[in-house]
Amino acid sequence: MINHQLALIKREIWEHRSIYVTPMAIASIVTLGVLAMLMFASGFAAELDVAIFGAQNIVGDNERQAVLTGFFLGTSWVFIIALAILTVFYSLDSLYAERKDKSILFWRSLPVTDAETVISKLLTAVFVIPAVTVVGIVVTHLINLIVVSIWVSMKGGDGGVLIWQSVSFLDNWLAAFIVVIASGIWMSPFIGWFLLVSAYTKRSPLLMAFMPLILIGLLEGIILRTHVFADNVLGRGDGMPLFRAVDIERFFDEEQWRVAEDATSLLVHLDIVQFLASPAVWAGVVVCGLLSTGAIYVRRFRDES
Amino acid sequence: MTSLVSAEGVTKSFGSFTAVDNVSFEIESGRILGLIGPNGAGKTTLLKALLGLTDCEGQLSVMGLDPFKQRKKLMQNICFIADVAVLPRWIKVSQLLDYVEAVHPNFSRKRANELLQQTKIMSGSKVKELSKGMVTQLHLSIIMSIDAKLLVLDEPTLGLDIIFRKEFYANLLNDYFDEERTILVTTHQVEEVENLLTDIMFINDGKILLNSPMDALAATYTEVSASGDDADRARGLGPIAEGQMFGKSVMLFEGVDREHLEGLGDIRTPSVADLFVAKVKGERQ
Repeated sequence: MINHQLALIKREIWEHRSIYVTPMAIASIVTLGVLAMLMFASGFAAELDVAIFGAQNIVGDNERQAVLTGFFLGTSWVFIIALAILTVFYSLDSLYAERKDKSILFWRSLPVTDAETVISKLLTAVFVIPAVTVVGIVVTHLINLIVVSIWVSMKGGDGGVLIWQSVSFLDNWLAAFIVVIASGIWMSPFIGWFLLVSAYTKRSPLLMAFMPLILIGLLEGIILRTHVFADNVLGRGDGMPLFRAVDIERFFDEEQWRVAEDATSLLVHLDIVQFLASPAVWAGVVVCGLLSTGAIYVRRFRDES
Repeated sequence: MTSLVSAEGVTKSFGSFTAVDNVSFEIESGRILGLIGPNGAGKTTLLKALLGLTDCEGQLSVMGLDPFKQRKKLMQNICFIADVAVLPRWIKVSQLLDYVEAVHPNFSRKRANELLQQTKIMSGSKVKELSKGMVTQLHLSIIMSIDAKLLVLDEPTLGLDIIFRKEFYANLLNDYFDEERTILVTTHQVEEVENLLTDIMFINDGKILLNSPMDALAATYTEVSASGDDADRARGLGPIAEGQMFGKSVMLFEGVDREHLEGLGDIRTPSVADLFVAKVKGERQ
């Protein structure tokens, strides 16, 4: 069973190369961007150069930490947005492409059940793509921190102290891991829906997936003048119960940055207990389970001829 | 002989259309059965029911298993090639072998490598880079490396040139078939397989028109080419089909003793294709 799943997931990664090509592309773009920025800042003014990365620690520890944390957050969000887009397209394609190219008849000629196949696609969307994304985030940060450390050292600063000891990178990577995995679980009802559409639709899976959701939201607004569906389904992405309330003003207040923990460890902003205790999380998991079961049912009972 | 497949009153309907209509038959192990029928006759639906790809009414048992409910277990002992185009185009040959090896307990990687070495297929190639004939060779190499009891081939050589078609069946017979194995094949190119078959089944409009061992055909069916009064006398014996060829009447008889036909004209055993046409036309009249 586990060996089957590993083989099936490996197959998903072979077929959908974008799962690993996208993080590699983002890592390359971010690294080139950082290099360009370093060169630009350096050419613009020596003070600016050292101010940003603290080669001579002129501006101060907190600002340097803020810049590094900002860099961490910024690149992580690029990955997370790419992850979201990748997951939508992957889930919609996963059970549709095999019918389109008729390879479903080959896959079904092997001793693998429809449930095993659909579960492998669900696991890929909910856990594998997020896990690859976290690896992408960590590797990108490592590469860029090494580049920046070398840069700072070349300017006469101590890269080891100024860069590596100023922010809790392990905490932040752990935070990124938790956010990305929790996002997969939180958004899993959509993944279940996309798998069902992918198994069912004969054409345009993207349109068939989003049109009903938008129509239901619109009809509810027009007919009932309520927005329960829009708030709870379409707006689900905004409401993940993982983050502690953030005082945005305090976050951007220079004085408050001196409460260094905020800036150096993103872990303190996360509340895993609150996430796991949220009924909305588990309701989502149940909906995902039901929709994925629907996808298994459709794949099993549909006549492909 | 033991029955590998047993069907009793198998029916499959799509709305008001009945694709397979109350069909009953048995397939014994160690046979090569040709399932012959025109387009839309119900061949593929029947095969899908046997392979557990579609559910059906009636009693259907393949190797003692219910194909639809126990498909995973069944697929460990059945192989099928549904059409030449079904291998995924994006996959590499090596990945395909890795995958089959991981999920199929009866697959021999060593055997597959040996078979592929006899072809021009490279393990690093993607399926989409291979010609249609090579894709079939690849598929057949995989199938022949699986120790399965039943092999189902649905139009396996469709779209291939004559050389590949001949090679396909030669490989199948020489390297695969033995008395432990059973092959069920459907094809339009009846004349290419009729010499391989041990049994034949005709299907039309979802019903079985003929189900017979090949060696029993000669005892049951006779074709007579006759002209003039001989033709009239032959006609009096009730042929199931009649046509004209080179000015002679060609008549096909079922269950008429050859002794009665001798002397009326040239006698021979009809080809499967002629027999099939006669049976289908007879059914329509």
